[in-house]
Amino acid sequence: MMKKHMNLLSYSFDCLKRYRMRSAVIIITFLIATTMISAVLFTKDGLEREAQFSVSAAPDLTVQYLKAGRVAPIQASYAQNVSQIPGVEIVLQRTWGYVGIGTNTFTVIGLDPAGLNYSRGVVTSLESGRFLMANDSNTSNIVIGELIAGMLKVEVGDDIILLSESIDATRFHVVGIFSGDSSIYTADMIVMALADANNFFKMSLGEVTDLCVYVNSSTSPKDVASQMASLPNARVLDQDILMRGYKAAYGARGGIFTTLWTILLVGVALIAFSQAIVVGHESRFEVGLLKTFGFSTLDIIEIRLIESLALGFFATSLGMLIGFVYAAYFNAPGLVDILLGWAFLPREFHLPVYVSLESVFSIFAVTVIPLLITTVVPAWLNAITDPELAMRRAAA
Amino acid sequence: MIEARTLTKIYNKGKFNETTAVSDVSLKISDGTIVALTGPSGCGKTTMLSMLGLILTPSSGEIFFGRENVLASSDYWKTSFRRENFGFIFQHINLLQQYTAIENILLPLYASDSDPGSYREKAKELLSKLGILNRANHLVEQLSGGEQQRVAFVRALIKDPKYIFADEPTVFVDEETSHIIYKVLSELRDTGKTVVISSHDPDLMKIADETCRMTKGKLI
Repeated sequence: MMKKHMNLLSYSFDCLKRYRMRSAVIIITFLIATTMISAVLFTKDGLEREAQFSVSAAPDLTVQYLKAGRVAPIQASYAQNVSQIPGVEIVLQRTWGYVGIGTNTFTVIGLDPAGLNYSRGVVTSLESGRFLMANDSNTSNIVIGELIAGMLKVEVGDDIILLSESIDATRFHVVGIFSGDSSIYTADMIVMALADANNFFKMSLGEVTDLCVYVNSSTSPKDVASQMASLPNARVLDQDILMRGYKAAYGARGGIFTTLWTILLVGVALIAFSQAIVVGHESRFEVGLLKTFGFSTLDIIEIRLIESLALGFFATSLGMLIGFVYAAYFNAPGLVDILLGWAFLPREFHLPVYVSLESVFSIFAVTVIPLLITTVVPAWLNAITDPELAMRRAAA
Repeated sequence: MIEARTLTKIYNKGKFNETTAVSDVSLKISDGTIVALTGPSGCGKTTMLSMLGLILTPSSGEIFFGRENVLASSDYWKTSFRRENFGFIFQHINLLQQYTAIENILLPLYASDSDPGSYREKAKELLSKLGILNRANHLVEQLSGGEQQRVAFVRALIKDPKYIFADEPTVFVDEETSHIIYKVLSELRDTGKTVVISSHDPDLMKIADETCRMTKGKLI
């Protein structure tokens, strides 16, 4: 019995050679389609993972101050009001903003020295140097993302000069560099002590940009957030809201993903269908002949299944591999501007690429299944017809 | 023994172009004989042959191989029966053009548990017997009509079938090939094979043990 299946396998591969034009057309089409879609999907997966990481690194709640409906600096003393809410473990002050270097914009974050243990959690690891310490206030020591280090060609121990919006130059001393050039969260980040950030941004005395709230492990952040609703002028952001913000950023490109999926589906279906028609008469005749020789309907289906699966899996796998290399190693030239989109991330930023099982399965599903349908179904229909009729119709 | 009872085949039944190709034909074919179905074009010879070869389902009637009413069996059973017992030679030869002669000959073996490669020598012996061994590895499209018909003959015989169905086997071949075919068919009969031929070749009738003349779908 096993020998028969080996025979059918052998015959299927012979068919791939025999219908080499059809095989070549399908392989080339699938390669183009899957390269494009896998580059997009793997990058989208990478971006979503980065978003997940960023959100998980954020405080349980972030409190901002609203004035006239707009976000304004918050008095540090406001932390007293927040910390009195049941369930709040610690409230940390934070000042963050943007700084331009050349044509690029980077994120400056000033952390409260009292809560560096909490803040340390946001950092996966350092490539070199050290993280900030409690005594780093007013020292101008900074930890920078690897992307910035690479662009400015600085190492731990070097100094950099940043120009604030009030056109004051400040010298900072690099004490650490974050690792992971693909991490959106740390790539463009310049972390310094809160006092240094306040000085740099010329914040008024006693003001910060927001408060970071960490709640007890036994308390739900949502419960604490609902209690904060009664605080005047407060805008409370939990991790879900932050995640929605990230997703909205990706959502802006959702149309591109949808369009690409549609193009892929329609393209693959059309190509597979046209190829099925091209070889339709020949294939119908062949099925009739094989049935005459004693190939059963199941044998015919097995042959066409093997052919389609071999073609589909080979072309799709190769397409995904090329798509991965194109995105991960060549940074998806031509696609990167569409995919990345964030104005503050320079082109030197490497696309975060991640291959999820879900994406791999989806790509296989939209390529292999249409091919199976357009090849196996006609073969089955022919196989359940009398062999003589199948051959006669093919000859007609 | 093959026995057909009141076989009828109606194409496009119920449609404007309904055609009765075979009507109420009954016949018996003894084992180890050559039976020729003859008659003018369109008389139903090929349809009758196809029904007896189980590659065309009759509209009504019964076909017995021995005591087995094969039409009552499943498609899977009929397919297996064809695989184990039948060899076909078609009027239009029906070789796969992109394959070599020997690849076409070995094709029926792919549906079985046999190793097609192990039949290569036997295929060469038969090709040699039919005088085209030197064409074994040529693509079908490189062969003449007569050579192709001889390849088709070898393909039908490669599994040493008990029944051979040949539809107009000499219609497109030259005289030399025709004589080879007569000789091979006679030898098959002599080794106990049952051969059913559809033809209007008078020379082929001469080697037949029995001739069944058909006209307008009926046996006369």
